[in-house]
Amino acid sequence: MGFEEVRFEQDSEKALRNKSLQKALVNVTNRFRSARNKASEEVPDWEDLRTSARKIKKETIENLDKYLLILEESVKKAGGKVHWTKDAEEASRIIVGIAREGNVKSVVKSKSMATEEIELNSSFEDAGIKVVETDLGEYIIQLAGEHPSHIIAPAIHKTKEDISKLFSEKLGIPHYDKPEELTKVARERLRSEFLNADMGVSGANFAVAETGTIVVVENEGNARLTTTVPKIHVALVGIEKLIPRYEDLSLFLTVLARSATGQKSSTYVSFITGPKRSTDIDGPEEFHLVLLDNGRSKILASEKTRESLYCIRCGACLNNCPVYRKVGGHSYGWVYSGPIGAIITPQLMGIDKAPELPFASSLCGACHDVCPVKIDFPKVLLELRKNVVESKKGGTRVLERLGIRLWRFTVEHESIYKITNKLSYYFQLPWKGSNGKLNSLPYPFSRWTDQRDFPAVAKKTFRETWKEIKK
Amino acid sequence: MSNSSREEILHTIRKRLEGVGRDEKKISVDTKRNFRSETEEVQKLIDESQSALITQFIDELKNVNTNVIEAGGEEKAKSSLQDLIKEKELKSFAIWESQFLKEINLKQELKDSGLKLITAKNKNRIAKADIGITEVDYAIADTGTLVLIADKNQPRSVSLLPPIHLAIMRPENLARNINDLFIILKSKLEASEDITSCMTFITGPSRTADIELSLTLGVHGPKELYVVFLL
Repeated sequence: MGFEEVRFEQDSEKALRNKSLQKALVNVTNRFRSARNKASEEVPDWEDLRTSARKIKKETIENLDKYLLILEESVKKAGGKVHWTKDAEEASRIIVGIAREGNVKSVVKSKSMATEEIELNSSFEDAGIKVVETDLGEYIIQLAGEHPSHIIAPAIHKTKEDISKLFSEKLGIPHYDKPEELTKVARERLRSEFLNADMGVSGANFAVAETGTIVVVENEGNARLTTTVPKIHVALVGIEKLIPRYEDLSLFLTVLARSATGQKSSTYVSFITGPKRSTDIDGPEEFHLVLLDNGRSKILASEKTRESLYCIRCGACLNNCPVYRKVGGHSYGWVYSGPIGAIITPQLMGIDKAPELPFASSLCGACHDVCPVKIDFPKVLLELRKNVVESKKGGTRVLERLGIRLWRFTVEHESIYKITNKLSYYFQLPWKGSNGKLNSLPYPFSRWTDQRDFPAVAKKTFRETWKEIKK
Repeated sequence: MSNSSREEILHTIRKRLEGVGRDEKKISVDTKRNFRSETEEVQKLIDESQSALITQFIDELKNVNTNVIEAGGEEKAKSSLQDLIKEKELKSFAIWESQFLKEINLKQELKDSGLKLITAKNKNRIAKADIGITEVDYAIADTGTLVLIADKNQPRSVSLLPPIHLAIMRPENLARNINDLFIILKSKLEASEDITSCMTFITGPSRTADIELSLTLGVHGPKELYVVFLL
């Protein structure tokens, strides 16, 4: 995904005006939210599970170097190869290299945020290797030449009419209008891609240090096909995806499925340890684990923001965020959206590339409440805001600073405060609309009223009303 | 592969974590739990509540769009399978060469009823099989999950490529929940050094909700999942 600079304000305005997107966002986030709430309430010790999950992630991240070495050893022991990559460029180069060495003509991919992060598809295409996304949502997005808008429901911004038109244009088929028919078309097309592919690329939800097992969670079966059918399997895994022990999986799988979609268990969970054994009848002959740093190790430095790496990418914070629910995924400008995007993008890409994101939050803490590893989003956001302000790139606006100073002066002087109250009542009158609210204020306040009305200043102050009541 | 990236990443991590104050000796994947004795305890609890677990498991299977055939014994299981063959007009099948399926001689019986046997060796051919028949290595009662472990007799594709997956299972493979299962798996892991190349959890047939959140079954994996439960 091309990344220049996040333009949150600009892109979120566009999203707010897109009526079908607004409808889709309400549907998807409400559905996932209520499913998640129900699924978590069913588990009597849910809060304890979250606490334990956080504890294990903390232990892992604070000893990441040790656990990575254990993981490397385990993968090798199981017959797999391990590749360490510093950044997007190196990861892409290594994966394309594995493909070239294996004489690979076509690649199937299952859903992976890490591969979006390194823009792997364009590297394959530049190398003349065909690459096909196989998750239905991702397939739709790839055909449309767009980017995912939700971590677990990537094509949710498109209506079935959009998809029908897209399939008809790109695949040369008649218009189908039912989701089942469209799904059937995708099944048939993609089945032949799976059978012809020489290499499958997956991500991983977890990588277990103790056994070298990578775990892939899904509902469609495309990840099973990706990791089973082609002769080479490459798993691209961010270094923070580690968990120490095999038995830790029971805890993490429980909280992941319930937090993400509200399922008790996702339809398929694959636990892959190395390539096929010599006696196995099917499965890939080669297994490559590509470990991706791409800025993650740098996040470790700050004790206040380090917990950003605990994330298990369930998407619950998106569905519960009042900001995401209005502006959608694309406004966040990069692969990760919602509260997790707001904290991880500035840290991975550099705070100067996304100075607006830490401010794209009301700090209400709904994300913190639902996070299965209890990431304290408000705390991290505030720390990042501080960093933005301290860096040259961000900083407060002159007008904002002036405004705050004036405010401070006013509230420190009671008589001036009283006069200002009265004055502002009369000053606002020219802008007062028929609904008794302020509908269109001049710049800079227009940035508020362009989107929504501002409550008007009342004629009587609270103190005055209070006195009257007491009489 | 560049070895220098490995060193560089590890170096960065160590440097960035300098302030953490880590206890070097504590870092280990060994938790000093005794999984063998935990397994014995878990197994006792499972055995005590088996009939309740079976009811729960069957309910959960149905919740995730799985067809359950409660067969009293192996004869009933076979006759239900014959019914299914007629109903779905099945012409070909793939099957695990696992111990129990061999014992009940299911492969030969299906061949005798005129179905064509397809081996998992060729991906293009097994993709054309009408049904894939497996056993179940373990199952999880409270989520309705089947656990399949790949080995030399149990290829992965049989439960994946054909449009119908039918699993034959016995009640003794049932765990109460995922915690039980990982205790059992971990104690097996500690007893032998081998770990399977691929273990799969299957909870219902393949599904998607990627188009307008509308639930559609059978997007990539099997469209239909049958569990024949030998009571």
